[in-house]
Amino acid sequence: MATAYVLLAGSSRRLVAELRDALDSCAERQRQLERSLRVCRRLLRAWEPAETLAPELTPGPETNEEAPSAACIPSPQDLKELELLTQALEKAVRVRKGISKAGEGDKAPSLKSGSIATSPATRASAPPSTSRRAGSRALETKPPRGIRQTRVPVKDLPERRLLSVGDQACMGQGAGATKPESGLRNEQIVLSAASQAPEAFTLKDKGILLQLPEAFRKAASWNSRPAGWSNHVAFWFVGCACVHPSLWAQLSSTQTSDSVDAVTTAKMQFLQKMQTTSGWPGSRLSATEVEAEVRHLQKACLLLRLRMGEELTADPKDWMQEYRCLLTLEELQAIMGQCLRRLRELCTAVVEQQLGPWPEGRFPRASLPCGGGADPIWSPQLLLYSSTQELQTLAALRLRVAMLHQQIHLEKVLMAELLPLVSKQEPLGPPWLALCRAVHSLLCEGGQHFLTILREDKPAD
Amino acid sequence: MGRRRRRRRVDPADAARALPEAIAALSQMLPAGPSPETFRRAKFDRPEAAPALWRLLFRVLSPQLADGASASFSLEAQVRSVKLALRTQGYPRRALAQLPDDGSQGGRELLLALAWLLARGPLPERLLTQNRVQLGDEMPVCECEALASPGPPAPSVEADGCVDIRHLQWLMGKLRFRWRNLMASQQEQCALLGKIHSYTRGCHSDRSLGHLSVTETELLRDPEGGRQLLRRLERENARLQAALQWRCRELVFWRWMDTVLGACPPEASQPTFLPRIPTPGAGELETLVRELQALQGELREAVEARRAAWEAGVRGRGPEWSAARTALREAVGRDLAALRRVCERGGGRSLAQLHGPHRLVRTEAGAPGGPGLRAPEVIEALRSREAHLEVVLRQLQGQCGQELARLVGAPPGPVWILPPGR
Repeated sequence: MATAYVLLAGSSRRLVAELRDALDSCAERQRQLERSLRVCRRLLRAWEPAETLAPELTPGPETNEEAPSAACIPSPQDLKELELLTQALEKAVRVRKGISKAGEGDKAPSLKSGSIATSPATRASAPPSTSRRAGSRALETKPPRGIRQTRVPVKDLPERRLLSVGDQACMGQGAGATKPESGLRNEQIVLSAASQAPEAFTLKDKGILLQLPEAFRKAASWNSRPAGWSNHVAFWFVGCACVHPSLWAQLSSTQTSDSVDAVTTAKMQFLQKMQTTSGWPGSRLSATEVEAEVRHLQKACLLLRLRMGEELTADPKDWMQEYRCLLTLEELQAIMGQCLRRLRELCTAVVEQQLGPWPEGRFPRASLPCGGGADPIWSPQLLLYSSTQELQTLAALRLRVAMLHQQIHLEKVLMAELLPLVSKQEPLGPPWLALCRAVHSLLCEGGQHFLTILREDKPAD
Repeated sequence: MGRRRRRRRVDPADAARALPEAIAALSQMLPAGPSPETFRRAKFDRPEAAPALWRLLFRVLSPQLADGASASFSLEAQVRSVKLALRTQGYPRRALAQLPDDGSQGGRELLLALAWLLARGPLPERLLTQNRVQLGDEMPVCECEALASPGPPAPSVEADGCVDIRHLQWLMGKLRFRWRNLMASQQEQCALLGKIHSYTRGCHSDRSLGHLSVTETELLRDPEGGRQLLRRLERENARLQAALQWRCRELVFWRWMDTVLGACPPEASQPTFLPRIPTPGAGELETLVRELQALQGELREAVEARRAAWEAGVRGRGPEWSAARTALREAVGRDLAALRRVCERGGGRSLAQLHGPHRLVRTEAGAPGGPGLRAPEVIEALRSREAHLEVVLRQLQGQCGQELARLVGAPPGPVWILPPGR
């Protein structure tokens, strides 16, 4: 079964390009998230008055401790792989803890215990708040440890990481008495930070006292208010200083007046005049239009397929329902016919206009405006959530939907390129079996599982 | 209202001032907008106006580039990119395509191209939106980004050679791994956001927001960053004001552009010479054709089978049946009207109100709360979306399974043992 199967060059290029695209878009999302995570983590650590020195640059005792081991440096590639592995482990732990802690933390957000520089004694005397705080602190001090980890010799890593996982997990029950190592170290950082700068504080303790600077408040409220507010403000009060709508709201408001009509007409005339004086024959489809039309037909196809699936799986209870189902399918067929006609027109137009394929084999997609291009909403609306868990559910679902879109797209591409390969190949030889197995895994199992192939006649390889 | 009416009444002295004002507003609202003088020179096709306008068009046509990133492109690269982008969008004038690539010429043509872009859509608004200073913690609740997946053209360094199928499997595995990572990071971020929001409860001057966002909190932690943010915000406010002024004054600009266009001789028609325009990859069109045809085939089969079954059993129904049939027909028509509209014009949206960026606001459980979208509503919409997409994916996988079984099953071949749990 180990026989390698080589794909045709043409199809492989497209498949690899599509997969790389998917990988790149994932990586870009990840980068954005990491950026925001760094900021969030920093905010949740102790705030020091010396702002220019980022806290993660001065973990003090930790860097000294690791200095000798930096002598044996693993290869960069090892490190990279290692980092991926540790990141994955780290994240798995974080998510688990995050979810369990999040629920806990929400129930009593007002329960704020003492200042951050509490002594071990007070922690021991107040076990419930300790557990919560320990959990959050473990999150806060992640980055310095991440930095340290990359310098550690390869062999040590997994054990250490897993050890710290265990530590954190048992912190809640252990109270202060059997203080694990990592917890102590965290404490030291906070304490030393506190002793160097007496004014250091955490968001958790003093966050509620924060105030935005006046200049910023003014600029921000002039810039944008939540849309829910400004929509209720009548625009003819513009002159009144007290209730002026924000700039974004004014820009988003759809004005209808004679002057707007005149401008629209003037623009139309300009475009027409330009077209008639142009050296290229008129009314050609632009590539962007073709692109938009293709996107739209893809969407229509998805919607029709969904609806068809619903109808086919429905179980009609009586003849009325049965007939209704039949009529629905016929109607879907009619809509489908129109879509196909449009697509054929599009294809002929593309051929007639001698629109060549994109030289790179890939069309640079313009970022489509949100909302299908109709009337974009410029000032942000509000999205109200009531608990961290709710927010996490929402975010997870968003990602899941995006992932499914990508999976469906990839499935279609793989289908179109791989199925013909299977049918073309001389059957039953070992390479063919290997190919079938790989194709089955990619197409039917999302690449996650493999089927087993049993041959009864003679050993395959 | 009164002010607007006054503005529309044109008196000669006003008119003389109106054009420079309109152009000033235009140049102020555009990213890296050149001075109004450049526009005037461009009308007379003066070469010194050309480089600034090429750069402006480059910025306008590649909005995803961050501020200052365009400086890393040579003028020549910018010129070529502008030409290609305009052709892709269907820009009708050939004169622009024939300008030299060194960016030394073309003041008037470039002015026309800019006007063409302005006339076609809400360009200023779109540019402002794309570079918006984001103050809140925002979450888009729509799938536009998922569907659009804007990506740069794939680098052509891709090896031309053949690829082992195991390479594809490896890439797929990597992709799954990345999604898992993403999921985990996202969950952590939500947990941290939740904390920051609840720790800063009541700190925001805007009562409907209540708490601070990450950006706002960071501004307090890092005063220098805060000052920069304030400067960016003030710049954006100035551009927004300019955009509003432009709206009031643009009519004059269009009259002026008409004279600019009038000054150009009409281009000779040359139907024989047509440069190649990039279109979506041929593969994409073919895939779509196949997909639609497959779906049509499935529908035809289903309809034929059901129609036949129905015809066989339909005899013996009474006269009340024909009335019921008409009613059903109308009901189905109504039922599918929305779907038909979406498929025909593409105007409809499945998640009508759920579009655009949304600022996250944490509310007390049970508190009435102000205007805004509620998370549970969005969650519900996304759940049903997820379920639909899962069905589609399973259908596709099933289809592949059948096709493979057909290809493999013909000879008395090997026994397939499917992986467990399916």
